[in-house]
Amino acid sequence: MTRNFANWPIVLVLLIISTPIIIMYAFLVIDTVTTSPPGSAIPNGFTLSHWRFLIDPTATGDVWRPTLTTILFTASIVVIVLGISSTAGYALSRLNMPFRRYFLAVVLVMHAFPLVTLIIGVFLVLQFVGLYNTLTGVVLVKAGLMLPFGIWIMKGFYDTVPWEIEMAGVQDGASRFTVWRKLILPQVKPGLFALALFAAIDAWGEYMLPRILAPSADFEVLSIYLNTVSDPDSTTYNFNLFKSVGLFYTLPILALYAIFRDRLMNIFGGGTKG
Amino acid sequence: MPARSYLTGLAFLSPALFVLIGFFFLPVVLTAVFAFTNMSTSTGISGGSYVITGNLLGSLKAQGVAPTVVDALSQASFVVDEQSIAKAQAAGTDAQFLAEIEQQLSGKAFSEERAFERELKSLRYRPRSIRDLKLAVDQFELSVLNTRFASAAEAREAVSELVPSAPADVVDEIVDASYTGWRWTTSNFTRLVSSSDTWRLVGNTIFYVAVTLSFTVFVGLFLAVTTFYLPAGAASAFSMLWLLPRITPVVLYTVMWKWFTWEGGFVYTAAQALGLPAFNYMKGSVPTAWTIVIMVNGFIGAAFAMILFSGALKAIPVQQLWASEADGASRWQQIRFIILPHLRWPILFVVSYQTLSLLSSYQEIWLTTNGGPGRTTTVWALESFNTALNSYTGNLQYGLGAAMALILVIVGVALSILYLRLFRFDELLSRPKIEF
Repeated sequence: MTRNFANWPIVLVLLIISTPIIIMYAFLVIDTVTTSPPGSAIPNGFTLSHWRFLIDPTATGDVWRPTLTTILFTASIVVIVLGISSTAGYALSRLNMPFRRYFLAVVLVMHAFPLVTLIIGVFLVLQFVGLYNTLTGVVLVKAGLMLPFGIWIMKGFYDTVPWEIEMAGVQDGASRFTVWRKLILPQVKPGLFALALFAAIDAWGEYMLPRILAPSADFEVLSIYLNTVSDPDSTTYNFNLFKSVGLFYTLPILALYAIFRDRLMNIFGGGTKG
Repeated sequence: MPARSYLTGLAFLSPALFVLIGFFFLPVVLTAVFAFTNMSTSTGISGGSYVITGNLLGSLKAQGVAPTVVDALSQASFVVDEQSIAKAQAAGTDAQFLAEIEQQLSGKAFSEERAFERELKSLRYRPRSIRDLKLAVDQFELSVLNTRFASAAEAREAVSELVPSAPADVVDEIVDASYTGWRWTTSNFTRLVSSSDTWRLVGNTIFYVAVTLSFTVFVGLFLAVTTFYLPAGAASAFSMLWLLPRITPVVLYTVMWKWFTWEGGFVYTAAQALGLPAFNYMKGSVPTAWTIVIMVNGFIGAAFAMILFSGALKAIPVQQLWASEADGASRWQQIRFIILPHLRWPILFVVSYQTLSLLSSYQEIWLTTNGGPGRTTTVWALESFNTALNSYTGNLQYGLGAAMALILVIVGVALSILYLRLFRFDELLSRPKIEF
């Protein structure tokens, strides 16, 4: 737009406040393929040995089992969140029912409301229903905690669909369910897609719930695996190794983000509506 | 037919209702309920039983229960009667031996194990091995110490049997005190109010929220405004860079901060090379620990604020900016009189949303300083979580933790409702247009 101001001072200041991020992420990539002498951060040699954990389970334990578990974990959460949000969002956006107003207010409060506070209560609920220490339990809780957000987003997308489509369907004698299934759902595909992306990224990064709600379970997700590998107090602590594992763990997210940046920005910004 | 359309609505809503009740409503209720109990690992979550332990007797004595009663309870006695013989029979004691015991010692009681053992040793059919003899002796022992009673009635019966002289109210007191399960209490709250730790936690929390929030808003604003003015390429490079903390999984993000600030990490190495003090910045001193905690959370928040502010900036009619420049406005004047007024609502929104999420966030602190050094960077939410679910000593105090969480829940709900009013909830709601 305007060219009558110099840009370089701004860029300089921006660079300075971004230094920690730049250094951390640059070295996250560099350190996985280089070696550096002790007591220095500057690399002096190229190596692929830090990636050996991919084929050699002796270094850190098998990485593929946690990877599969994480994929399963993420996929189940995405399916649950999409399924429930798309029906509930529709109900709140379009259907006539009692207490709709209050329900919407409650969903909004839940969305604004920090969920981690409830973890003690959730822990007790899982203990009572016997889902403590199970993958099912963690999946349900994680999906449940994402729901208010999902419902709210989907409601927003349904709100933008013209009423005429629905009226035409009802006029022609279709039931409300058929109208939703055949006419409205295709209209909110972008919303479903964005929500799926968001839920996938969120679930993929989840650490606390599996750690707290399934501490001694026989499954391990990648976040737990990474945290075990990167405990600075352990004797086998190795910056290069945990960075390789970390990069391996984060690559799918970075890829999704790079490919679908625009759609994600939509939901990152729009998801936190006023 | 309103009823029918209500049903359609409910059918569409029911899966969500089911999950939300299970994982929001129920946890809130449970948190509120258990805040008024002394539930912990040692009391268990389901009901407990009645056990009189040595420790308990000690404290009962201190509470003024008659020493004679306490001493009687702590003493084991050996009684030969129908009951104990039947018990020994069931345990597989030799029949001939038992018959002899019944014949010779029936009705007798011994207060010392040795005396009873000596008596048994003199019998003809006694078992050969000492071990078997001891096993037989154990069967006649009558003691309440460390015995688990399933109900209060059983415990009461056992106590009065052992100490027939004890008055009923003393027995009740003993039995009541021996309950190992959880009970209702308001002591969690009185403890919170009276403890000086509480106020330090509150102070820490306020400090943490205020400083991190200012960091978030100012850095977010700065990023949004500067990237707004920069050429598209540079702007998008910076905004992508600042989004990284927000999308990186929290474990990797915190572990990277550890690498950055830990012993042998980047800053450590750099400081050493420059001759500056090098130590574990995350745990070595209070100011550095706070700085790191605030930056770890602030970077994530700043990314969030930047997205929102940038979105709002794009909505400013560009003619206003052109006009101001034609009138000779400096960049600062542009920001002050055009951009900031446009950002009023987004800023208010970020402040309210972040206050709430910072108040209750402890994930990043837990994974970086974990409240240290000492307990200097511990905030309310972290302490509540540690008390209830993550104690070092192994005794998880669900009750106390729930009480702390309940206070956060109340603050959270109050703030959310306030925000709903502030951001005009009514405008978000439109009535359905198909009524049938």
